[in-house]
Amino acid sequence: MTAPWLELLDDTIRACAEFDRPDLAQRLRARRASLLGPARRVVVFGCPGQGKSQLVNALLGAAVCAVGDDVTTAVPAVLRHAETPTAAVLGAADAGGPVETATARANKHPEAVGAEIGLPRALLGSGMELVDAPPVGEPTGRRTELAMAALAEADCALLVSDATAALTPLELDLLGQVARLCPAVAVVLTKIDMVPRWRHVAEVDRNRLADAGLVAPVVPVSSVLRLAAAKANDRGLNAESGFTALVECLRAAVLADPAAAAGRAAAATCAVVIEELMGPVKARAAALPPAVSQDGLVKATKRVEQVQRDAARMQTQLADDVADLNSDVEYDLRDRTRRVLREVDDYFEEADPLKVWPEFSDWMRETLTTVAEANADWLLRRFEWIAGRLAAEVDDLPALLDSAGVDDLRTPRVEPFTPVQKMFVGLRGSYSGLLMSGLATTLAGLPLINPISIGAGVAFGARSVFEERGARLKRRQAVAKTAAQRHVDDFFLAYGKQTRDAVRLIHRALRDRLDEVARQVRADAAESAGRVKRAVEAANARRTELITGVRRDLTKLGTLRGRAEAARRPLTVPRGLTA
Amino acid sequence: MLAAVWSLVDTALAAYRGDPRATAFLEACRAALSGPLRVAAVGAAGSGRSTLLDAIVGEPFTARASRLVVDWPGAVELIDGDGDHDAALVLLPRPAAPFPDALDPVASIAVLSRADELGGGRVDAMVSARQLARRHARGELGALCQDVVAVSGLTALASATMTAEEDATLRALAGLPRAELEPALLSVDRFTGSALPVPAAERVALVERLGLFGVRLALSAARRSADPRAELSRASGVGEIRTAVAECFADRADTLRARSALTAVDSLVRADPRPGMAAEVERVTAGAHELRELRLLASLRSGRVSLDDLGDDAVTEARYLLGAAGPNRLACTDDPYTALLRWRARALDTTLPDAQRRAAGIIARTCAALATR
Repeated sequence: MTAPWLELLDDTIRACAEFDRPDLAQRLRARRASLLGPARRVVVFGCPGQGKSQLVNALLGAAVCAVGDDVTTAVPAVLRHAETPTAAVLGAADAGGPVETATARANKHPEAVGAEIGLPRALLGSGMELVDAPPVGEPTGRRTELAMAALAEADCALLVSDATAALTPLELDLLGQVARLCPAVAVVLTKIDMVPRWRHVAEVDRNRLADAGLVAPVVPVSSVLRLAAAKANDRGLNAESGFTALVECLRAAVLADPAAAAGRAAAATCAVVIEELMGPVKARAAALPPAVSQDGLVKATKRVEQVQRDAARMQTQLADDVADLNSDVEYDLRDRTRRVLREVDDYFEEADPLKVWPEFSDWMRETLTTVAEANADWLLRRFEWIAGRLAAEVDDLPALLDSAGVDDLRTPRVEPFTPVQKMFVGLRGSYSGLLMSGLATTLAGLPLINPISIGAGVAFGARSVFEERGARLKRRQAVAKTAAQRHVDDFFLAYGKQTRDAVRLIHRALRDRLDEVARQVRADAAESAGRVKRAVEAANARRTELITGVRRDLTKLGTLRGRAEAARRPLTVPRGLTA
Repeated sequence: MLAAVWSLVDTALAAYRGDPRATAFLEACRAALSGPLRVAAVGAAGSGRSTLLDAIVGEPFTARASRLVVDWPGAVELIDGDGDHDAALVLLPRPAAPFPDALDPVASIAVLSRADELGGGRVDAMVSARQLARRHARGELGALCQDVVAVSGLTALASATMTAEEDATLRALAGLPRAELEPALLSVDRFTGSALPVPAAERVALVERLGLFGVRLALSAARRSADPRAELSRASGVGEIRTAVAECFADRADTLRARSALTAVDSLVRADPRPGMAAEVERVTAGAHELRELRLLASLRSGRVSLDDLGDDAVTEARYLLGAAGPNRLACTDDPYTALLRWRARALDTTLPDAQRRAAGIIARTCAALATR
């Protein structure tokens, strides 16, 4: 079974690949390889002149790291277990020499990047390697760079701060940075042999660590006493040096359970990497498009309803107009025929039908033709007006659509009206023609006119011989009036029927045309609404997809981070020399 | 130069009449010009400012006041903290970068103020610290200041204020057998906690006052029957710092005072310009040969200007002529007139780089002043 931390590390490496960060994956793979190695890496770091190298020397009981009163360490020294003492200077040609001077040679060589020393020490043999890092003080500089590089590989880090002064903001900041990368950190308070108030300084340091929210034990030690104890083989002195507590601390951090230490280090590295992966995802979450506006859709739906309402309203209007027209046309016809009759009455008050009948007959025909023509013309003009009004309304409809495409839409929509107009024009010709011819036939074929004229002429002619002149004339006149009235009545009936038929015909044509136009406009509006709806739905779907993606990524990284956080329990150790 | 600065301050006072803040500022400049040289101890908390000042004065005055005038010879006002000053002692816990901004190539001395701790409190800690200071005086740090001095303020103060009781305690301890005493000197805890015939409370007080280094040093002196107090004073480095202040600051007090007054007036004129004042400041600055000398010295120290091509003798002569080693400017020069001719010839030598010719011109003018004195 693989260790849980290895699984976490592999999952994080996979996440790196998934989130397209091969650089981070590479880093983690390197870290994985080093974590799978046998030894845990303890890095000793801190500001210049705190006694880092001396601490390493005292810890191992050997003067392997060069020490001095000034800034001495220039490159990191890695101390490993070896059966016989060995030494190598990295990154530069080394003339060779005793193991004890290897770090001094590496420090002096401008091109050296480190020193590696193997020592037969039980502490190193139990699964630990020590790194004496160069001081971190200058914000930039080769020493700081080398130190930070060494810290990136650390499974446990010891911040060395001497007892002459409490932890500075710089040191706290540095420790905070290191603690993110490496969960096992401790502050080693050195030089307690020469500072009377080191207990006070240790207390201040603990308070400052607590204030900064850093979990790290403070271990006070004296390298001088430890070295003196090793020389004199003095157990009491060794206890005073505080190194027992430091070794205990290291034991708890790395030696007691190297797998757990590796797990903590892996978790910390993973946490940092996951945090880095989360950055872009969070940026993506912040940059999500806003919810799609429903305004367009609402507008389009409203427009469909409006178009329907308009169509219904126009049909009603057309029906009303036609009803008005029917009533007006009928009235007009009745009015005109009545006036003709009145004229006939007036005429036959004086004239003798016997004498004037042929002229009267011609006059009657002409007058009724004129009446029919005027009435028909008026009817057609009224229809034209109605159609015009509707056409204007229908024409206006596209203006309710979006301005785009109006020009395209207007033309086909207007054009269908031409047939209507054409029909009218045709009707006018053909209708009046039909009317006239029908009327002419009616008039010609009517027994009213010819037989009356003839019959009456015969009757009048015959009666005039026998009857008294005045009385006969009156009768003739009355007969002529009745005959004229009948004829006009017949004309009214026949022509009125024709008119109503024509009105119905035109009404139907108009209604059908209007229906057709309304259907078309409604179809257009519905299609446009559909388009808007589909666009809104597509945008919503895309947004939902993005949100889901970001949520999924965040959840995934969050889960990973949770696992990493759970696995990076901070280091807790006995407080050692504090009383 | 001092006279020119005096008249500049007076001109400025006339120009800023009616402006109470500027007038108060200029009055303060005037007072500083006629007052003692102001030397400030500048350093971070815990760098040992007050301890050092108390040690220099020989009594704990910083508990009562933040400034004190001492005779150095010549009045010098010591200031605790980064106030207005003519020159500064910049306290560094250790000679490592990053160096503080307070360092000034012309008017500052870097002080390794807790030098005994650099060597871990060993008996030879101060010897090693002095070597360290000398090495850094030649290096990057030295270019940023006039001198680098290693001091143990605690030791110096303890030596200056040592009581008869403390002396007696020291002598009692020194009388103990070596086998008994040496293990007790391994650490502070051992010194205060060991079973020694001297009362523990006295030992705690002693190590608090002297530090472990002081205790070790005083006991070794007492065992040699030497005076612990003199030994502490000698080792503490307080003498070196007095000498450094006297040489680097007190001998040039007038120039330093004029320089700080000129800087102050310049800052006022820049912040709140008045017609003609900027030109007046510029005229005085340009005419101040002493300032040019100081700047050239600083450039020579920092390596911005190098006269190494002219030979070691010429470099040493130039430094002496410019007053790097105090008022005895002709110590390395046979005759000021021939020196004048020599340096003037260098100033006119077109084969030399511009920077060297300008430097030679400044030195020639110094020679001319020395020759006509």
